Amino acid sequence: MNKWFKHIGLAIALLFSAVCLANGGDGQAIQPQAADAQIWAQLKDGATGYTASQSEFHAQPINTYDLRVLELRSDWLAPALMAALFGMIIIFVLFIKVNGISKLHHGFSGKMVYRWSKFDVSIHWLGAIPCLLLILTGLVLLAGRFFFQPWLGEGFWAGLVYGAKQVHDVMAIPFMIGWALMTVLWAKNQLPKMYDVKWFMVVGGYINFGPFKGKHPDAGFANAGEKMWFWAFALFGLIISASGMLLLFPNLFEPSRTLSLIALVLHSVSAIVICAFSIVHIFMATVMSEGGMECMVSGYCDENWATQHHNLWYDEIKANGTLQYKE
Amino acid sequence: MATMKFLCDTKRCIECNGCVTACKNENDSALEWGIQRRRVVTINDGKPGEASISVACMHCSDAPCMAVCPANCFYKTEDGIVLHDKDTCIGCGYCLYACPFGAPQFPQKGAFGNRGKMDKCTFCAGGPEETHSEAERQKYGSNRIAEGKLPMCAELCATKALLAGDAEVVSNIFRERVAYRGAKNAAWN
Repeated sequence: MNKWFKHIGLAIALLFSAVCLANGGDGQAIQPQAADAQIWAQLKDGATGYTASQSEFHAQPINTYDLRVLELRSDWLAPALMAALFGMIIIFVLFIKVNGISKLHHGFSGKMVYRWSKFDVSIHWLGAIPCLLLILTGLVLLAGRFFFQPWLGEGFWAGLVYGAKQVHDVMAIPFMIGWALMTVLWAKNQLPKMYDVKWFMVVGGYINFGPFKGKHPDAGFANAGEKMWFWAFALFGLIISASGMLLLFPNLFEPSRTLSLIALVLHSVSAIVICAFSIVHIFMATVMSEGGMECMVSGYCDENWATQHHNLWYDEIKANGTLQYKE
Repeated sequence: MATMKFLCDTKRCIECNGCVTACKNENDSALEWGIQRRRVVTINDGKPGEASISVACMHCSDAPCMAVCPANCFYKTEDGIVLHDKDTCIGCGYCLYACPFGAPQFPQKGAFGNRGKMDKCTFCAGGPEETHSEAERQKYGSNRIAEGKLPMCAELCATKALLAGDAEVVSNIFRERVAYRGAKNAAWN
């Protein structure tokens, strides 16, 4: 019996080597079973195979990617977003304490000049309100577990982070619509001009001490700082929307896992930039620039505000007769 | 304490999917339709160099899922088993992106990437609920570790390709196998 097995074994072995020779051609027998090192190398390279499982990504035993993504999120992006929000607020409060705000030199004239249409004001808030909610909920999602969770109860934390995710998902849609409308419709007034360089040289005339005191650089419809914010918002808004769509609709775009992780990093980087700019933007409009907020409430600005902050624009509309006062 | 690990010997795995079935049966109470915590993948299927390997959560010592979770719902038991709290999970899917082994799975596929609560292999160690409670059974499946038993998949592996247990014990068994493998008269006598 034992001998019989040996014969069959020998026959199989011979048959197999014959097949191998026929396949190989160069006379080198191919191993019927790959060596462990070979299998491991293939798996590490992300080899896919057959599996009975229908679940997502299950045909690939190992997905290899750069693990530094994980440290990047916890050690850099999360603290950076905290700094972009709270750090910028602290810096701005200190700046206003030291420097004071930008007052209208001649006070309010009471004459209101048409600056933004009702539609412009509404698309601003269509983007702005979701943007604020996205920053706050995004902060919870990126940095919450490092900065907030240690001081919260487990149940409260679970509710907070779940709520943040839901709000973040829903608010993404109006934000993207607002972003697209603002970017497309407002771009023509935001093109850089030569006088923008001079605006930056005197920090927009907002510094109330030293050599910059009392300067009033030229500005058109938008000043150089607003233009920088606009183009940063346009670019990083695009990146944050595109990466957000990948994460929001995985069924639609079917991104790979590695692409999703890259999207996550790009999303966070864009959020940090937009958040820092948003804080500056909000401070400028509400506190720093007296009379500035009115533009995004009624769409009209005070005439003295217009001549002080947007002199070239004011001169232009006065010259070409498009200047309109509020009834 | 032990450091629990799975090890799959590709020289022994015959792609019978017994481990998959054992896992499904053991943790049935927690598994929604379509979810299987363990799978067998065959690379080079039907070609030279064919090898099958049983894959599930590997209970990493520096688990990427744990690092990336925004809700921080993962935790590690004193046996080195990576578990998660389904009450804290927000279904964002980051763990699925981060896991090299595709272990995390989600019951729903909805708009807005709403995925439901993540499910993955628990090393048959249940979850944060009270041991052997109905809540634990419903959310996480069985808790064999609390009974002093090893995961069902490895226990039922017919060829003992899939090993589960303390890393040192498991790797010693495998090392011994490799040492004796290919010995003279080991197969045909």
